[in-house]
Amino acid sequence: MAAYEYLYLVTYDISDPKRWRRVFKLMKGYGDWLQLSVFQCRLSRKRHAELIALLDGIIHHTEDHVLIINVGPAESVKPQVVSLGKEFEVLERQPVIV
Amino acid sequence: MPENDTPIQLELPMPFPELGGDMPLLPARMVNEYQYCPRLAYLEWVQGEWAASADTVEGDHTHRRVDKPTRNFPEAGDIEPHEVLHGRSITLSSNRLGLIAKLDLLEAEDGRVTPVDYKRGKRPHIAKNAYDPERVQLCVQGLVLKEHGYVCEEGELYFAESRERVRVAFDQDLQDLTLNAVNGLRLIAAGGHIPQPLVDSPKCPRCSLVGICLPDEVNFLQGGAIEPRPLAVMRDEALPVYVQAYKGKIAKNAEALEISVDDAVVQSARLIDVSQVVAMGNVYITTPCLQDLMKRNIPVSWHSYGGWFIGHTVGTGHKNVELRTAQYRASFEEHICLTIARGLVRAKIQNCRTLLRRNWRGDDKPDALLDRLKALGEKSLRATDLQQLLGIEGAAAAEYFGAFDKLIKKSDDPRQMSFDFATRNRRPPTDPVNALLSFAYSMLVRTWTMNASAVGLDAYRGFYHQPRYGRPALALDLMEPFRPLIADSTVLQVINNGEVRPSDFISAAGSVALNEAGRKRFIAAFERRLAQEVTHPLFGYKTEYRRLFEIQARLFGRYLLGELAEYPNFTTR
Repeated sequence: MAAYEYLYLVTYDISDPKRWRRVFKLMKGYGDWLQLSVFQCRLSRKRHAELIALLDGIIHHTEDHVLIINVGPAESVKPQVVSLGKEFEVLERQPVIV
Repeated sequence: MPENDTPIQLELPMPFPELGGDMPLLPARMVNEYQYCPRLAYLEWVQGEWAASADTVEGDHTHRRVDKPTRNFPEAGDIEPHEVLHGRSITLSSNRLGLIAKLDLLEAEDGRVTPVDYKRGKRPHIAKNAYDPERVQLCVQGLVLKEHGYVCEEGELYFAESRERVRVAFDQDLQDLTLNAVNGLRLIAAGGHIPQPLVDSPKCPRCSLVGICLPDEVNFLQGGAIEPRPLAVMRDEALPVYVQAYKGKIAKNAEALEISVDDAVVQSARLIDVSQVVAMGNVYITTPCLQDLMKRNIPVSWHSYGGWFIGHTVGTGHKNVELRTAQYRASFEEHICLTIARGLVRAKIQNCRTLLRRNWRGDDKPDALLDRLKALGEKSLRATDLQQLLGIEGAAAAEYFGAFDKLIKKSDDPRQMSFDFATRNRRPPTDPVNALLSFAYSMLVRTWTMNASAVGLDAYRGFYHQPRYGRPALALDLMEPFRPLIADSTVLQVINNGEVRPSDFISAAGSVALNEAGRKRFIAAFERRLAQEVTHPLFGYKTEYRRLFEIQARLFGRYLLGELAEYPNFTTR
């Protein structure tokens, strides 16, 4: 069976602050905020399709730009990343217990 | 999708009798589903089951342009011969045909109209340029248009991915096929018998309802020869959120849950990753948050501070009323109750025996004990009534818990406190091991209660456990075989690995309970156990326990609805 979830890097350039805010809030629901306008997400095919549909509904197609980069299968990928400064950790899946 | 080669039944063109108030109109989409797979249509139309998949989400996205309805599309008589018109998302119905159709796009030219149906994929490279289900769906739209007086001889399918249009002529063959499908669907809906699953069909892997339908599993259990493909083994994307912190508050912020203690945010969880919310003790959820959880079908379960399951909050509940009816009906039949109960007790005793055999830490081999348990397991199958079965279960439990202490690792250092287990006691438990067991069972009851209601069963009407006020009897029934596998084994694991120590307990007035930090670690261990993969003894594929529970609950439903001759209990080797 093909890998179930993939790891994605999502970056965006949104020209209007109002739309930017909406995109940011939506992205928070789908991934982990890494840096300004950069998110790390773990998505199944279905979630991937949902995210694209929702982003597509928010952005302005001539002024904004969103890139969704597939980094590889979420369970096994070890992204070759040079991270200076803060720690970079690959997103994991676990239950929340407070 | 291969061509459907069932013979077409010819018939006289008799008008369908005008619909009464109680007969729902058949949507064109359902006729499509019927042509694809009659069982799929039954599950969606009659039982109200639904599951989204990547394909359905993409499909909805493809339809976004044609989902904004046009008002004022002219009636059949009002179209001028030279007018060129477009109408989007128009819903038309016909009482005489008993059909309703939503037209993505309707084009009018030269006094004729052409329905255009949007499809998300590429044009299939086959003889007719489209598969039968899509052609039939389009033909239903054509029939309804003709019924409204429009001139309509053909339709078009638009394939969004390859941006191609395919013409579909409404010839006699297609009309016959369509009417055949309409009548077929009406017949199975009226008959109330779910059609057989497809056998080893290439259609199943891409079907979004495969995890509900369980085609290969049902075929296999009905005596089929082909081993099930691991189709139903989809990974659960979402995981539970536990809030047991004193004065915890759960609120919603955009697409995430925010959990705060004393107004300071301590954790947030993305809503799409949440399968259920477990609130223990003094925790509150804001109303907007609760409403959103209900809209998303995320159940909330409520527990006392010590983990005792109080109840749960769900939305409007599951639509599959047929399943619940079958469950109630079966629960009043004494012999069915007994048959189910026998199987459950036997599976539980077998699993207890396996746990003892695997985790034995005593000096001598427990052969005699294992033999006695085996004999009790066999005996449970011969029990003539529930009372006798209860006695056998009690005897097995006495044997099992009598030896439970031999499974616990003892500390080498005599100065350290260690876990000792003498007998099982509860309400309240008086020693740490019993406290852990009780807590683990209450977690398992919650898991099974949620699981049973998620697949459409009523958790409160059981077969072995008779209904009592507020007791989730069905959840207690179905969890029996899993007590040793999940609860007892988690307890042994946290003790033997030293994850929970004797110092993690507080004792008050003769009762013992876990403290907050210990409980947190125990919950994590329990969830880890649920995420562990096991090989299903019957189907041969690997799956997480969490997913296995759902498959077992669905198979139980299939048994209640009469599709399976017996419920396949889960036992490990």
